[in-house]
Amino acid sequence: MKHSLIIGQRVFLELLKDKRLFGLSILGPLVLIFFLKIFVDSMPPQFPAARYTIPFAAFIVHFFSFILCGIALVQERTAGTLETMFISGCSRFSIIAGYVIGYFGLVTLQTTAALGETLWLFDLSYGNTTLLLLFFTILLLSMVSVMLGIFASTFARHAGHVLPFIPLVMIPSIFLSGLLIDTNQLSTWAEIIGMLLPFYYANNIIQEIITTELIPSIIYRNLLALAGYVFALLLIASRTLREEN
Amino acid sequence: MIAIKITNLDKSYGKIAALQNINLAVPQGAIYGLVGSNGAGKTTLIKSLVGITQPSSGQIFVMGHDPTTDKRKLRKKIGYMPQDTALYETLSVSSNIKFIAKTQSVKALDKNIRHVLSITELSDRAHDPVHTLSGGMKKRVSLACALVHQPEILFLDEPTAAVDPQLRARLWGLFQELAADGTTVVISTHLMDEALLCDKITILNKGKVVLVDSPLNIKRQGTTSISVNTSDQEYLEIINSTPEAIAEHLHKFGLQNNVSSIGIDSSTLEEIVLSIVGENPVET
Repeated sequence: MKHSLIIGQRVFLELLKDKRLFGLSILGPLVLIFFLKIFVDSMPPQFPAARYTIPFAAFIVHFFSFILCGIALVQERTAGTLETMFISGCSRFSIIAGYVIGYFGLVTLQTTAALGETLWLFDLSYGNTTLLLLFFTILLLSMVSVMLGIFASTFARHAGHVLPFIPLVMIPSIFLSGLLIDTNQLSTWAEIIGMLLPFYYANNIIQEIITTELIPSIIYRNLLALAGYVFALLLIASRTLREEN
Repeated sequence: MIAIKITNLDKSYGKIAALQNINLAVPQGAIYGLVGSNGAGKTTLIKSLVGITQPSSGQIFVMGHDPTTDKRKLRKKIGYMPQDTALYETLSVSSNIKFIAKTQSVKALDKNIRHVLSITELSDRAHDPVHTLSGGMKKRVSLACALVHQPEILFLDEPTAAVDPQLRARLWGLFQELAADGTTVVISTHLMDEALLCDKITILNKGKVVLVDSPLNIKRQGTTSISVNTSDQEYLEIINSTPEAIAEHLHKFGLQNNVSSIGIDSSTLEEIVLSIVGENPVET
């Protein structure tokens, strides 16, 4: 745990020092949400904005966290700093946990900014419990994204190798997780694939909160699935993270 | 005391044999050179010694620990300076050193950081981001990171590659001071003038040990050609490279007035290594 905190502190310090990366990581999602507002405004008045906008904000945070973390860890590998960490006595588990801790600050800011802008631009208002639940869901999804980024980086020898993972992970999430099409309209095989994706569970929670009467058991079940995803990826990534480049 | 013992070490990457049947013993407190051309296996050997690369077969003991099974204990005792500087470019010099020091649980953190900054002559750049430093300075930061926890063995993978001659001389001075204080320094290089500064060297070629000896003994394996020109004659003889052999040979000439010039052309270490290695020349 001590090593994880040391690594987490260093990762966050690096993010803060790289002002351009930090700024773009926050601004990128905000700009995309702004374009979504322009798009939604061009739709008929009865268009269910909340059904798409909040999941979309969550998806953008998911997308950015995945890419940033995946590329950052590949850079650690190519720069040789990953090897140095291993030689300094850091375990695989502590490195991954350290990255999650380090990115926690960034994804918290990303989540707050993206959710705040969505609520403001689309004039949406929810009770405190709902807002807290939305925030927590997106934050948990971001943790999954960080883990997925680390996992993808284990198959990459340079930053370019992370690129094929973007469509591989993200495009099925758009079509099969209920973001664009309700999952009950999908064929069985498509729904099964969708269930393998973490965004499926995040979207289930968000849709449950914003569109229907809140049923705690559904929320808990999906939150548990997301938490399980975090735990499973942590275990898998801590086994697949290679010491040698 | 033996600091490193390697027995029948093999390492393959698929069909490529990176190391073959390596047997070595490195004495404690020595400057031990791993000499060879690019691709000779120097980096793979160092990475095997620090526990990053898993050997295909054979045994390694570093300070009595197996790097593959006893990583935790061993990593406290070793310092590693990789071929690439392996630094966090956006962080400051001191932040980089501090990070490594913290992971190594260094006590008296600030004092140790000040000490390594001082010996690597980086005190005045301590708060500058690494990306603002020159290549030579980055090498020194990397060395400071490797030294901050006062390791018993220091592994340096081509530490002076792309470094100017003045800095190279200063770094070698530092390595010699560390060795004098009891630190074992294992250093890889393809530069023959650096190999001469080691207490003992191992010449690697295509993953195999070609020769293990002191640079002086290896130089003795070379030859010296002596030409003596008098007013009416010219003598040329090839003799052993030892100073004694040269002196003995010149005695017979008595260095008379009519000896106008004496030319001595000894084999360089590089030439000797080239003749040993054969078809694969060692880069200079």
